[in-house]
Amino acid sequence: MKIFIMPPNSLILSDLVERFGHEPLTLMRALRERVTSNEIEAPPLNVTVDDVKLGLKYAGIEIPSGIRGRMAIYGPLIDQAQAAIFIQDAPYSFGCVGCQRTNELAKLLVRKKKVPILTLDYPANEDEAKYMVVQVKKFLEGLK
Amino acid sequence: MDSDIETRLIFIAPTSDLTPDRIARFIHNLGNPVTVKETCYGVVIEGHKADVKRTLDEVRKLDPNRIFSKERAFPMGDIRRCRAHHGSRPGFAQLEKEWKDLCLIEKGLICVEKGEDPPQVRKRGKMPVNELKILVDEVSP
Repeated sequence: MKIFIMPPNSLILSDLVERFGHEPLTLMRALRERVTSNEIEAPPLNVTVDDVKLGLKYAGIEIPSGIRGRMAIYGPLIDQAQAAIFIQDAPYSFGCVGCQRTNELAKLLVRKKKVPILTLDYPANEDEAKYMVVQVKKFLEGLK
Repeated sequence: MDSDIETRLIFIAPTSDLTPDRIARFIHNLGNPVTVKETCYGVVIEGHKADVKRTLDEVRKLDPNRIFSKERAFPMGDIRRCRAHHGSRPGFAQLEKEWKDLCLIEKGLICVEKGEDPPQVRKRGKMPVNELKILVDEVSP
């Protein structure tokens, strides 16, 4: 099954989902098409006109352009999602997916789809890590 | 670029005895038609999807619970990202954080492998105001 993960470029989640026999819907795969096309010079900093139009399907015109641009990439992934795993409590400076408003909107759209969702925190110690991995395995095995 | 080409990052958990050099040599010895690049956290491999998957499966066997991987959007050596061309790495803070957590995830995978029941964890909550007040008073009486 196709599993949407949040953060969408998470190493831990994409590895675990693949390890337990499912397909992660990752930002890397979505960006790959843009990165290797000749239309965009410096993705993900640049977007095409089509991206802007596509973003409007997921975020209104009054939404900041940064969120709309990101949603143009996240949106099609969410459309394909058959289940989702969210990891929360990421560090404050988390790199290029650190746009909390986009993350909130993406999570809302996934919830609206009524697909099975597993929400966990980033592990801070061994016990939490064991709990997290076992929960992910149980969740993925329980999907039909 | 051919859409069948995939670039993959292979990470070695901090607790593993393997080195990026050893993995790079191992991949060269496999003889699969993939390109390998050694990095500080492991290796990057690029090739046709089937070859990359075959290579990854073999590499994982070296240390199944301590080798992790994910796809990469940018091709290997892309001048917009490659450090040899002064490219930027905007996602590195996240990679670093998750790489540090791999030694914890390893414990989880071992737990799954052994079929153990995970310990119950306390849900993280916010600090009560009284406790915060005590802390504040300690620092600035």
